[in-house]
Amino acid sequence: MVDNDGNRNRASNLFIDRRQLISSAAAMGLSLGARDAFAAETPKKGGILRLGMEGGSASDSLDPRTYADSIPICYGWQFWNGLVEIGEDGDPHGELAESWEAKPGAKEWVFNIRKDIPFTSGKTLDADDVIWSLNLHRGQTKSGAKDLMAGISDIKKLAKNQILITLASGDAGLPSIFADYHILIVPNNYTDFSKPDGTGAFELVSFQPGVQIISKRKKGTYWKPGRGNFDGVELRYIPDVSARVQALLSNQIDAANRLDPKTVKLVMRAPTVNVVRTKGTGNRFAWVAHCDTDPYKSNDMRLALKYGIDRQKIIDNVFEGFATLGNDTTVAPSQKYYAKDLPQRAYDPDKAKFHFKKAGMANANLDLQVSEGAFSNATNCAVLNQESMKNAGLTLNVKRVSGDGYWSNVWLKVPYCAVYWGGRPSADNQLAQTFLSNANWNDTNWHSPEFDKLLFQARAELDEAKRGELYAECQKLIWETGGMVCFAIGDYLDGYSKKVKGTAPHPHYDMCDQRIAEKGWFA
Amino acid sequence: MNILGHRAPPTAQIGLLIVVFFLLTALIGPWFAPYGQSQSVGDTWAPVSAKMWLGADQIGRDMLTRLIYGARMTIGIAAACTLLSFFIGITLGFIAAVMGSWVDTLLSRLVDVILSIPPLILALIVLGVFGSSIPVLIITIGIIDSTKVFRLARALGMNITVLDYVEVARMRGEGLWWIIRSEIMPNAMAPLVSEFGLRFCFNFLFVASLSFLGIGVQPPYADWGGMVRENAGAINFGLFAPLYPAIAIAMLTVGVNLVVDWLLSIDARPSGAQAEM
Amino acid sequence: MLRLIATRFVLGVLTLLAVSVLIFICTQILPGDVASAVLGQQATPEALKIFRAELGLDQPAYLRYLHWLFGVLHGDFGKSMTNGRVIVDELAPRFINTLFLAGYAAIIAVPLSVGLGILSAINEGRLTDRLANIVTLIGISAPEFFVGYILIFIFTAKLAWFPSLATVDSTMSLGEHFYVAFLPALTLVVVVTAHMLRMTRNSVLSIMSTPYVEMAFLKGLKRSRVVAWHALPNALGPIVSVVALDLAYLVVGVVVVENVFVYPGVGQYMVDAVSKRDVPVIQACGLAFAGVFVILNTLADILAMLANPRLRRRR
Repeated sequence: MVDNDGNRNRASNLFIDRRQLISSAAAMGLSLGARDAFAAETPKKGGILRLGMEGGSASDSLDPRTYADSIPICYGWQFWNGLVEIGEDGDPHGELAESWEAKPGAKEWVFNIRKDIPFTSGKTLDADDVIWSLNLHRGQTKSGAKDLMAGISDIKKLAKNQILITLASGDAGLPSIFADYHILIVPNNYTDFSKPDGTGAFELVSFQPGVQIISKRKKGTYWKPGRGNFDGVELRYIPDVSARVQALLSNQIDAANRLDPKTVKLVMRAPTVNVVRTKGTGNRFAWVAHCDTDPYKSNDMRLALKYGIDRQKIIDNVFEGFATLGNDTTVAPSQKYYAKDLPQRAYDPDKAKFHFKKAGMANANLDLQVSEGAFSNATNCAVLNQESMKNAGLTLNVKRVSGDGYWSNVWLKVPYCAVYWGGRPSADNQLAQTFLSNANWNDTNWHSPEFDKLLFQARAELDEAKRGELYAECQKLIWETGGMVCFAIGDYLDGYSKKVKGTAPHPHYDMCDQRIAEKGWFA
Repeated sequence: MNILGHRAPPTAQIGLLIVVFFLLTALIGPWFAPYGQSQSVGDTWAPVSAKMWLGADQIGRDMLTRLIYGARMTIGIAAACTLLSFFIGITLGFIAAVMGSWVDTLLSRLVDVILSIPPLILALIVLGVFGSSIPVLIITIGIIDSTKVFRLARALGMNITVLDYVEVARMRGEGLWWIIRSEIMPNAMAPLVSEFGLRFCFNFLFVASLSFLGIGVQPPYADWGGMVRENAGAINFGLFAPLYPAIAIAMLTVGVNLVVDWLLSIDARPSGAQAEM
Repeated sequence: MLRLIATRFVLGVLTLLAVSVLIFICTQILPGDVASAVLGQQATPEALKIFRAELGLDQPAYLRYLHWLFGVLHGDFGKSMTNGRVIVDELAPRFINTLFLAGYAAIIAVPLSVGLGILSAINEGRLTDRLANIVTLIGISAPEFFVGYILIFIFTAKLAWFPSLATVDSTMSLGEHFYVAFLPALTLVVVVTAHMLRMTRNSVLSIMSTPYVEMAFLKGLKRSRVVAWHALPNALGPIVSVVALDLAYLVVGVVVVENVFVYPGVGQYMVDAVSKRDVPVIQACGLAFAGVFVILNTLADILAMLANPRLRRRR
């Protein structure tokens, strides 16, 4: 699966989010672990953490510009650090940046870089390293973070450990951008990524992409207190979910990501295993119809599709309850500015029938293309949808296609197909990347000037309540006329051996924001 | 028991019974299926109950119903693929064996080349160029498999062409087709029938793996190999769901091959050659 | 015989050349290229352009092929387009692992199935024959990965005798190699035994009806002796060709087994390369596999001739 969290915070950026400004100011210093549910226990040193993960391939590289899936993200955080880290509260906290301050208007930002942090090579971190690292993702680059950084017009060194970042337009959300997994801080003029030189807790022992990545803890004390506890990490590629689960159950690995919702209840019964569930923050599962292509041009048709799907049945029978009902937008109930007052759309074959008729499509045949490459269990979801559509008098032909090249050949090209969207730090991000008329990934070809206007208005709105209303309006528009049938929002499901501690669920990503190697310890 | 004038031993009778039973299931089974094949009527992997004799599959559909509907798809497609691959493979294999020299070299190396192309790439190309449908599936498998049949048919043919009676036939001036039809075919029949019995069964699974890549059987239609695949995860927890379709495949595989064994033994043999029947 | 081997060697090289051309053409037909596959959902037209220029994908296809061929003829298989790693260094240990696993499975499967096949032929219709056939046939009734799951369930989850993760590496001793790779090897044995067993049995039986075998019986020889000395050598051609096909399968067709047991072989490496359209890697893997096919098929032909002298006189 391709992880699409390229966190694009595109265009945008007029809004001033006071809450964020305040919290980031307060977050100076190392308060990261403070809210950890396990904070009461003191981490112990020692032991080799054996990870078994899905989300990588033999083509993986150490170059952070190419990261796109869980395994590279996981080893990236072992060797390197970012400027900013998302805490368990969901807010940005300083990592290699000690503190930051936005000038009024949030167009100019001063970041103070932590002092006396050593790289593996022995060099000490300074502003030049940070500037070099940030510039890797700007200008002529294939970096996955390029779009994120597009709003930055200039980066300047103010002092040995201080930089000034100038934006094209104000953006109070800048610090969160620097928590992106592509933006790792490397030494100045560093180009040979095959020999990782970072400020992270671990150093590379052997790199065999597609097989295993072995690292060991660096000598000396790690600069983050309480972190970097394992003596080493063995990260194995185990793409087959059954193999991963069996390895965890039989104690051949200490942790596994992406457990199968179908069998997770059975995994939970095992006395040695601890399943960590992050509810309603995972991937948004949806079908997308092109609003500018017949027969989906008619909004009645789109409404009928939304009424004709039995979401609860899918959640019960495919996700075994480990998912939240989707309400046809990518904003999740767990997110701020989620439109709570919008009624949850439910299965209603009569209404679906009515709308199909109105659209002149009663008893029609439609094709839905799905693939396990879009998201696992997509076919099962589609088959249940096919069955529920029958009651609305419509024949839904499920076409299962190869996962190979799904994102380049099917998605965005086929008028009705499966997609998943990853969670974003804010509702604004979430809406902008998919639903703005000019968005690169507007996969429903939905063009609503009204929506665009509302979204920009919301960004500039300083009054919290009004802003919430505007975002709710945005969601309502999508809910009413959009081409997305978002039926479920998955849970992140990680499995750990009971002896692994420090595994609190994280609102950003699974496996403790993919930093389990740095955060965890053995009991 | 006598069948077609031949004495059928008990194992052959069991084999025939199984094959006939599955053929009937494929033909008329759906009339007796308790539910619709895509109807979700229970919980995921619901246990065996009076309502669902074999429990439910991965999204709560009745396993028995799916097995019954699956018989038609599974047997029909596998039979078509196997027939096609044997037609191509035997014809070319025998031609290579009888004609020898450059024809043999050309065909053999061509087969090496086709065999050497990774099946995944081949499948993706087929998918990209010809799209997904059951005829495409049958032709794809037919061609891929025919390379293997070719290797066998050629080896068998070579062993026979060098025998004296074929030489004699050649000298008589008999044509290529006559030699193939009258001399080689009858003498190569036994291993070929045996290979057919196996390839037919391999194809239950081959169909499923290509369908998974997007060529062929599309949901909600059931095929046994696909059912094993979809339910496979349950076996890690000792749940039986994936075993039912696997057992169906196993029964049919054993049944077909028992019949094959019987057919081979009918081939009149000198008295001493018959061990025990 | 020497002349034959020389001819086959030349033909083998030509076959490899043809395979490389064909695979290259196939990769060009496949929709998408390495840039769009790597960037996936993150692809923007601008990023694609930069990526393609970096990799030289803006050159015409035939030039890229010739460039690659030139490299290979000088022993250089190039670097992966996705992560810039030297292909030979990545491929060689994996290929050795693949050959090890295939060899491990073959050492068990070939004697077992040919032996059982002969035994079945000797005891045609008796209990040993039926049992051997039915048990091995059941083994081919489930996809490889499912056989793997069942073996893991029994030997790892229930009995805890063998590990399910077969990640072998160079630091392990040979004994550890055999221990760790036991379950994947056993899976492969289960998958291929039936085919070879039945071909052996039935090829032998088909020879049993020929006049010279009848002659042997008339001489009053025991059935087992007739099978071993008179029928088997003449049935060897087809048996060897099936064994060769199955051995080739053990090398080439085991991606799924690698996947289930996390065995670091070529299969998964190639699948990843195909899904990323990493053409030089696909080419290198394809050539390695094609080499295996050519060698095995040649050996099969030569063995068949050794077993049946008449074949040597063929036109």
